[in-house]
Amino acid sequence: MRKVARSHSVRQMALVLAGFLAAILLLECDGLVNWADHLEQGPLRTSAVPVTLAFQRVARPFGASIVRTHALLALARVGWSDDAALLAAADASNTRSGSAQGCCGSAANGRTSASGCAAPAPHNLFLNAAGAHAPLLPVVPRSTMLMPLPPVMPGKPRVVALAGDSMMAVGLSATMLRQVVDNRNLRVIKAFRSGTGLARPEVFNWMDEYPAMLGAEKPDVVIVAIGANDGQGFVVDGKVLAYGTDGWERVYQERLASYLAMLSSTGARVVWVGLPPMRVASYNEKIATINRIAYTVVSQHPEAMWFNPVSYVSDEAASYREFVTLPDGRTMRIRASDGIHLSDDGAGLLTSVLVRWLDPPVQTASQGAPAPSHR
Amino acid sequence: MLFPTVEYALFFLVVLTVAWSLYRHPALHKIFLLSASYVFYGFWNWAYVPLLFGISLFSGLVALRIQKSVTAKQKKAWLIGGVVVCLSTLAYYKYTAFLLTTLLRIAGRSGPAQHISVYSPLLPLGISFFVFHAISLLGDCYRGKVKEEIDLGDALLYVAFFPQLIAGPILRASRFLPQLAVPRNPRAIHVNRALLLIVSGLFKKVIVSNMLATRLVEPVFAVPQGFGGWDTLLAVYGYAAQIYCDFSGYTDIAIGCALLLGYRFPRNFNAPYAATNPQDFWRRWHISLSSWLRDYLYFPLGGSRKGRGRSYINLMITMLLGGLWHGAAWTFVAWGGLHGSYLVIHRLWTRIEWQPVQTLRRAGGWKWASRILLFHAVCAGWIFFRAPSFSLAFSVFSRLAAPGVATLASGPILLVLFFGLAGQFMPSRWRNGLEIEMGRWPALARGAALAAAIAAIEILGPSGVAPFIYFQF
Repeated sequence: MRKVARSHSVRQMALVLAGFLAAILLLECDGLVNWADHLEQGPLRTSAVPVTLAFQRVARPFGASIVRTHALLALARVGWSDDAALLAAADASNTRSGSAQGCCGSAANGRTSASGCAAPAPHNLFLNAAGAHAPLLPVVPRSTMLMPLPPVMPGKPRVVALAGDSMMAVGLSATMLRQVVDNRNLRVIKAFRSGTGLARPEVFNWMDEYPAMLGAEKPDVVIVAIGANDGQGFVVDGKVLAYGTDGWERVYQERLASYLAMLSSTGARVVWVGLPPMRVASYNEKIATINRIAYTVVSQHPEAMWFNPVSYVSDEAASYREFVTLPDGRTMRIRASDGIHLSDDGAGLLTSVLVRWLDPPVQTASQGAPAPSHR
Repeated sequence: MLFPTVEYALFFLVVLTVAWSLYRHPALHKIFLLSASYVFYGFWNWAYVPLLFGISLFSGLVALRIQKSVTAKQKKAWLIGGVVVCLSTLAYYKYTAFLLTTLLRIAGRSGPAQHISVYSPLLPLGISFFVFHAISLLGDCYRGKVKEEIDLGDALLYVAFFPQLIAGPILRASRFLPQLAVPRNPRAIHVNRALLLIVSGLFKKVIVSNMLATRLVEPVFAVPQGFGGWDTLLAVYGYAAQIYCDFSGYTDIAIGCALLLGYRFPRNFNAPYAATNPQDFWRRWHISLSSWLRDYLYFPLGGSRKGRGRSYINLMITMLLGGLWHGAAWTFVAWGGLHGSYLVIHRLWTRIEWQPVQTLRRAGGWKWASRILLFHAVCAGWIFFRAPSFSLAFSVFSRLAAPGVATLASGPILLVLFFGLAGQFMPSRWRNGLEIEMGRWPALARGAALAAAIAAIEILGPSGVAPFIYFQF
């Protein structure tokens, strides 16, 4: 019997790697295009996109991408994936008679856009939404009023959707869910996802994902915190719009307005939680711009309210603070160790106000003034 | 740079190619690997590369001084000085916020509110690991385990070598420096073993760990009050599987990548949930850390040489500090304390010579009974490890008895949970058999099989890759 070698030479390893590269380019040509497409604007993306597209052109005729597409959809059908838009696409493809193309319909996230379909164009259903083209307001006010909601009807809990990116996913959502878990007047649904945003709909398209996450739910109130990943350039009609340029601000404002119009399209009141000051100065400047654009859009919308976290997690100069001392003497760390997200304690300062607004404690007529969003 | 990303794959392919093309020139080969390691680290944040370089250089210089010291007193002075600087650096970056919060909380109870406007430093990635590497260099030189005179370049590469830089395994200077001293053998690369390790690591991280984290563990640990007993129990088991697959997956990939470069790393996990007692568990879980703590903390404290009572105290100190090493929070200290008490209880248990106990230990089902008992004791510890606060940890415990159906127990989740926990009972001969079988395949076919496995993992895994849990340590 021939003895099998357990160790190999560099030449043999090089052959293994050659086999690996040939096969992976064939099997993952769509995945690689998808990866390149997701990269931030910069030299890596500039070189990766044409290279991966060239690989895709060569590999496509071999048909491996169809296998990948069908595998992704089949996995979604059996409940393997938890991606709402992918599940919706799988359902849709189920209903299409004999669909051999396996194309992904409206699913627009990275997995599906990589699965052989051309990346779908972002839905721009609300391009004339309020605030889409309003001139940018120069200053974001430190505090605004949360207008009172109609009373909760007995036996009909208020449905609250939590939406956004990791600014909602980390701290805010968990804290709010813990605060309302035993509250029969409120029912919370989760419609957030970390690592997303509004700047890059070709990477993650909230216009598709949010309705898929909601399903048949119709929230009465949406609380949204989003924008932390949006300080980056993007491509529109083949033209790169660098972050902070006039063109970028205009398109981003449109995207924000579309998103807000979608959030409120079910008749929901929307509370837009502004982004808190960030620790790193250059990043904080980007976030201030994003807040300014968001506030401009929100202030134009009749059903939307601005909730500025600065009063709770910052000082008089609206600068970054890591610790706060409460009136009772307790000192707590209100920011996560990354200098970006809120800690659970910090988020709790905001959510306790929001929960009181969503379900006000029973009070006498003399105490029934609207809840301000500042202390 | 995360392992399961295209960026890392491209980086590694370039490094592998250039490193082997330079193997005839060891000095250039090592300079290249060191530069690649700094690029790997700088990909996260260039601002901390000087810190990594500084700690490596400092420990290399002090190690040299230790070797050159004539008297034992001098050696000890250099050792203590070096360890103090290394630990102070770690303490500054990792424990400032913890210390401030604790002190201010105490001060708040006894007097007027204290206002502070300072920030705690941002935590450099992998600092706990590279500081422990630096201390290992000092300790091994002090004990004379490093026979040759320290080469500064080798010391820099030992601390910063990219496969182990972020989350281990923690290499011993005495075992790794000799590998750097001789050129790599281009005819002795364990390609098949490396490929199997990389694939199994990716499977554990991308599929098992990520799916369990996002669909089972995170929802329950975020709001335990919202779930009944079955969901809570599943989430606790899920976290046991998640943390094992996350961390052992990382080290599998690290060991595999090092093997392809011609270097050997120590084994870091050996089916830890198959352990039958706490001591056995710590010989199987994060082996490179537990042996580090044993050699550089437990033994210097006196180990078990100073009597039984003292050995129990030493065990508790070691495990409490081990807990604190994992994270700057009292919940981690509680986790360490719990494991310390398990070890002490086990030692007391083994000393019982009462006949019925002896009979019980010899009983047929005792091995499995003790295995199940230990697994649940370990799971209890994981609750403190995972929960962000004591109140949430106790909430998880209390919800274990709450009524309710298992709403999160979908087929895919139960399947990956099964793989995560039962996978470690897979006989090692299966992996050896597969490695030998692969040896019979043509090289190109082996590469294609690797590609097919990685493509399958990419398709099966959730989109987006969460950072490894142990990055934060």
